[in-house]
Amino acid sequence: MSPFTDDELKQKVQDGYMVEGPEDMTEGYRKALVVQLTVQADTELMSAPSYWMAARYAPSTNTQVSAHAIIQDELAHANIAYRLLEDIGESKEHLVYGRQPHEFKHPYGFDQPLDNWAELVVATGFFDRAGITLLTDVHENTSYAPLKRALVKIGMEETFHLRHGEVWMRRLSKAGGEAKEMVQRAVDWMFPMTIEWFGLPDDMKRHSGQLDYRLKGLTNDQLRQVWMSATVPLCEQLGLHVPAHWDAEREAYVLDYPFPCQYDAVDKHWAFDEGEISWDAVFERWKGRGPMNEIYVESVQRSRLDVARWLDGKAAA
Amino acid sequence: MREIVYDVFARKGRGDQLVHIGYVDAFDDETAKVYAWKTYDEENWFEMCVVERDAIIPVTNGEGHFAQLKRARDE
Ligand SMILES: [Fe+2]
Ligand SMILES: [Fe+2]
Repeated sequence: MSPFTDDELKQKVQDGYMVEGPEDMTEGYRKALVVQLTVQADTELMSAPSYWMAARYAPSTNTQVSAHAIIQDELAHANIAYRLLEDIGESKEHLVYGRQPHEFKHPYGFDQPLDNWAELVVATGFFDRAGITLLTDVHENTSYAPLKRALVKIGMEETFHLRHGEVWMRRLSKAGGEAKEMVQRAVDWMFPMTIEWFGLPDDMKRHSGQLDYRLKGLTNDQLRQVWMSATVPLCEQLGLHVPAHWDAEREAYVLDYPFPCQYDAVDKHWAFDEGEISWDAVFERWKGRGPMNEIYVESVQRSRLDVARWLDGKAAA
Repeated sequence: MREIVYDVFARKGRGDQLVHIGYVDAFDDETAKVYAWKTYDEENWFEMCVVERDAIIPVTNGEGHFAQLKRARDE
């Protein structure tokens, strides 16, 4: 364990100290890092079945290849994040194969079905942009050196995912007609979904220690602004409507709908007309998980026990 | 299905430094080679090697990443 007290470590990381391994950490630091890495690993892992089940809507063999290249990257990113967790005393075996579907910590967006090619490309355009926004901040600010190093590769690949999503959003939008309508419909549910992903607004945020330990640099609201500053202009340029605009007076992007609000996962519909709800109601919805949660987790865990049993049988013979 | 940790080292081009780029969990050397090549495909590496983490001998007995991980494993 760390030669420093928690307060000393907090001060040191603010002054630029880099943590290289478990001996440099206090228990508080380790716990905060475990939470952060678990969310990161679970998000990468659950994006894979979500994209994988949607890849069947790819319109050509080439697009099949690029969709699967993205999925391959996501699984590699998940592996890397679970490896980092193992190195600080957690079990990848338990995290991937030993948990119930509702125990995973990925965002609610990756509990939703992606039902056509437009939804897959908007997901890579929006969700991967959210991923890059969060991970770029971590890369630039984290005090945990092994994570900073790992994020070099992950950042390069996320940029490719994002480009793939945006290129296709542009292509479908420019075509107009049904193609554009499909993109618009995907944007309608995925824009608020991503906004919500960034979590509690700063004035309500419980103290997490992630900023104190310099595991990240920006607050939830700042990250939401970074995401909007790329996404809103892109959509405006493509003639897609998004429920947010630039407010010159406040020098910030402002949402044009009650936030947070309720979501009907079956109809993929945000109940703007029902007004603002409490964050407790949002956490309740998240905790109940979305329609694809069990299916996605099951698809990842499915064959583990079967094959382990075959192998054990063979070893015993 | 016990997997072993392998560390992955690679060199971008002829004349470049060999650097630690990551790690894979694999059953044996052969699968480690495949996983490393497929996982770290963000560059067209000129040279890539994997080494079992247990075979890495920290020379400085200090605060480095591998020294710390080794002590944690030895505990
Ligand atoms: Fe990823
Ligand atoms: Fe991605």
